[in-house]
Amino acid sequence: MSSAMDVMTHSSSFLLPTEETPGKRYALVVLNQNLPRFTPLLWEHAKLRLCADGGANRIYDELPLFFPHEDASSIRHRYKPDVIKGDMDSIRPDVLDFYLTLGTKVIDESHDQDTTDLDKCIVYIRDSASNQETSRILATGALGGRFDHEAGNLNVLYRYPDTRIVLLSDDCLIQLLPKTHLHEIHIHSSLEGPHCGLIPIGTPSAKTTTSGLKWDLSNTEMRFGGLISTSNLVNEEKITVESDSDLLWTISIKKTGLPVENNTP
Amino acid sequence: MDSIRPDVLDFYLTLGTKVIDESHDQDTTDLDKCIVYIRDSASNQETSRFQILATGALGGRFDHEAGNLNVLYRYPDTRIVLLSDDCLIQLLPKTHLHEIHIHSSLEGPHCGLIPIGTPSAKTTTSGLKWDLSNTEMRFGGLISTSNLVNEEKITVESDSDLLWTISIKKTGLPVENNTP
Repeated sequence: MSSAMDVMTHSSSFLLPTEETPGKRYALVVLNQNLPRFTPLLWEHAKLRLCADGGANRIYDELPLFFPHEDASSIRHRYKPDVIKGDMDSIRPDVLDFYLTLGTKVIDESHDQDTTDLDKCIVYIRDSASNQETSRILATGALGGRFDHEAGNLNVLYRYPDTRIVLLSDDCLIQLLPKTHLHEIHIHSSLEGPHCGLIPIGTPSAKTTTSGLKWDLSNTEMRFGGLISTSNLVNEEKITVESDSDLLWTISIKKTGLPVENNTP
Repeated sequence: MDSIRPDVLDFYLTLGTKVIDESHDQDTTDLDKCIVYIRDSASNQETSRFQILATGALGGRFDHEAGNLNVLYRYPDTRIVLLSDDCLIQLLPKTHLHEIHIHSSLEGPHCGLIPIGTPSAKTTTSGLKWDLSNTEMRFGGLISTSNLVNEEKITVESDSDLLWTISIKKTGLPVENNTP
């Protein structure tokens, strides 16, 4: 079975201080939770920058805090989103006006129970011309807060399995490993790990096989109510995963060793 | 005991707190270990009457959070409620028809029903803004999020174990002595 499958490779190169492979650009979506400490880095290297509704409040309020010695207004002008999209029930009027004046494209959508703000942004990116130039979509603020929001955002990964989406927080990243591929995950150990997990959200897995983990799986069954792989550890620079089921891969993000210190692996 | 600070540990030991040191086990989270302790220590009569409330099970590392959600699925006959500032989560086992009484000064209106572990072929609800009627739910398709409670009593019936979640209000909590 393995020899017939295409390989999908994964790398958190977007967390590196200098873009390793400048050709691989990404789109950034900022959702309405506290900005992770590496947000300025992600912002700078993004091909397209979107705020989902209240995410604009976060950019406006919190980005200046990363640059305490600089004038807040100049930071706000420098970190201007290309697009603000969502149902507009969270964004503050003053924030909206500020970015409208700056020329940010604002797309107002009525509330739709079936799609989260993240979903609406993914659709925008896929439909836009820049999509051809972006290899993946990074989203901050998708986790934490209300659990139904978080679940809705995890569901976005499952609804767009052919789009590479990475959810990021201060503590970890999450991405979908579609069952259609054999996965190779390259670990940048100065930036991420060692804590990791494979989570069969949505449907059980009858057989998952891994290599490179402290506790590898070998045609192992995983299901909620039984075994799922949490508090695992990465043991090697390359992890492989093969499964009969779509899985969520998650790995911790290190508190130190991030680009501020210009740490290259 | 790999997170507790030594000074904190000493303080509570001195106060008489029972400290149970367990070696790391990949298959069980700290929450799981505590659930086992509670179940083993109380008599069967007591456990059938009380619930276990847990704070701090959500947020942070996602593998921790998933492991804690899994604890709800591994002990479906034990009433466990996960609580954060923003919401609560509990398991609705497929073996029962569920009636959820809403204290509207404390919780809601935002709610959801999440088929985390396995798809649901048929779920039926009443009392929600967008009720389900033998509706299929699955990751990759429809799951009920950003729903709203519309009545004081919600009912849920499903062929699958679901997670019920409802938002907790920022105001109206006991400090202001607000009774519904």
